[in-house]
Amino acid sequence: MKKSLFLAACFVVSATLTCAQGKQPSAPPDLAGVYQAIPGGTTLPGGLKNSGSPNEIALLPKAAAEAKAVNVKDDPKRTCQPLGPFRVMARDGVKIELVPATGMLVMLFEDNLLGVMRFFYLNRGHKEHVVDGPEPGMEPGPTWLGDSIGHWEGDTLALDTVGMNTRTWLNDAGAQHSEALHLMERIRPVLGGKYLEYKMTAEDPNALAKPYTYTRYFQKLDQELEDDICTDEP
Amino acid sequence: MRLACLLAVWLSVVACAQTASHDWTGYYMQARGRDAVGLKIISPNFQKTVADHLQPWAKLKMEETNGIADDTGAVCLPAGILRVASMPYSGNFLYLPHGDKITLVYFQNASSRVRRIYLNQQHPRNLRPSWNGHSIGHWENDTLVVDTIGFNDKSWLSADMAPHTEETHLTERLRQIENNGNTYIEFAGVVEDRHALTSAYTFTRYYRKEKREMPISICADEIQMWKDWRNDELKQQYQHAREVK
Repeated sequence: MKKSLFLAACFVVSATLTCAQGKQPSAPPDLAGVYQAIPGGTTLPGGLKNSGSPNEIALLPKAAAEAKAVNVKDDPKRTCQPLGPFRVMARDGVKIELVPATGMLVMLFEDNLLGVMRFFYLNRGHKEHVVDGPEPGMEPGPTWLGDSIGHWEGDTLALDTVGMNTRTWLNDAGAQHSEALHLMERIRPVLGGKYLEYKMTAEDPNALAKPYTYTRYFQKLDQELEDDICTDEP
Repeated sequence: MRLACLLAVWLSVVACAQTASHDWTGYYMQARGRDAVGLKIISPNFQKTVADHLQPWAKLKMEETNGIADDTGAVCLPAGILRVASMPYSGNFLYLPHGDKITLVYFQNASSRVRRIYLNQQHPRNLRPSWNGHSIGHWENDTLVVDTIGFNDKSWLSADMAPHTEETHLTERLRQIENNGNTYIEFAGVVEDRHALTSAYTFTRYYRKEKREMPISICADEIQMWKDWRNDELKQQYQHAREVK
């Protein structure tokens, strides 16, 4: 009996030791997987449902006037250009993949050209957008997707993005934003990990009358992202 | 009994250490020029190697292909991974291992996109052909052996527009090495295609681990220029076709 208990204790110790880094009780949830935003009218158990829309943002007078002057035919999505995080994450049925890695989380989009990809760095603060490599097409200054960092607050991943250029719109109506656009996102698994709750808040003292938050729920899918080909609209 | 316990604990530690040693997470750039000194690059002239192995029909098709008008990669559409060994920057990647999957996110994400290597699995039956194919892998000590099939026939084998068929089979052996104080991943590849190649060709390429983050390339920054350029080429092609008729 004693021997059996001793052996059992050994296995417990070894199992605890095995890859302890990924199994700590306080370890954040593993968000890896492919997810798709649920349709607008869907209500999940517990009354969870999408709320808000980028089309509901309140603009400052100057920004509202700029938006009115925009020709919606110039919408970046018509030529398969990036929509920017605030707008793309609210799209109906947007499909993403989350890939956790050492010190970072990568977000991939099935619609590669509209969403591109996002890198969230978990072990650093915001950095200057200095180009320090030889890659072509890289220019100093604000970028399409900005600089994104994040940290865990319990089971919620809090993300913070700044440093975006002004080539994207905030909504389908052509709402413009400034380089002061600041995005705060919160992601956490709900309903036993079958869904993600995603909250996006935008603030921009030069364009938004007040910060705006929308919520989306993403269902975890048992599939991979495919090669979705964006083609220009006529 | 104590010995058995110690053995169990030791095996656990070894298992963890092995997992950790395979964490090659990071941004890797193709070694060129001075960065490649001391590395044994097989098929340095990749285009010539590929061209030398083409069957006559494939060689003919390569000569007839218009590198601008027919290049989907030039207009922010996928172009596949088979030709990245012959192109600077296209093959630079972010290596992201997680669980039983390794994800390679390419710097030129619009054309090379993302590659997923499924560990210790079989290829599914009835694969739908895709730009980057379907990759499975397994570890042989410190070498990651990757097998890829299921390519579509829309991409090229090299920057010279060498065609291939859906039968293309890519086998790669990846290992991490140290050279001149830098860390590299060595890709040793073998490409087979019984319908397009006279025999298999081999190559190696080395990708240096960078001490910085991978920037995100936005193809849209240049897309209109490329589209205009491509449309001009297409117009010339149509004009030529009309004149021939």
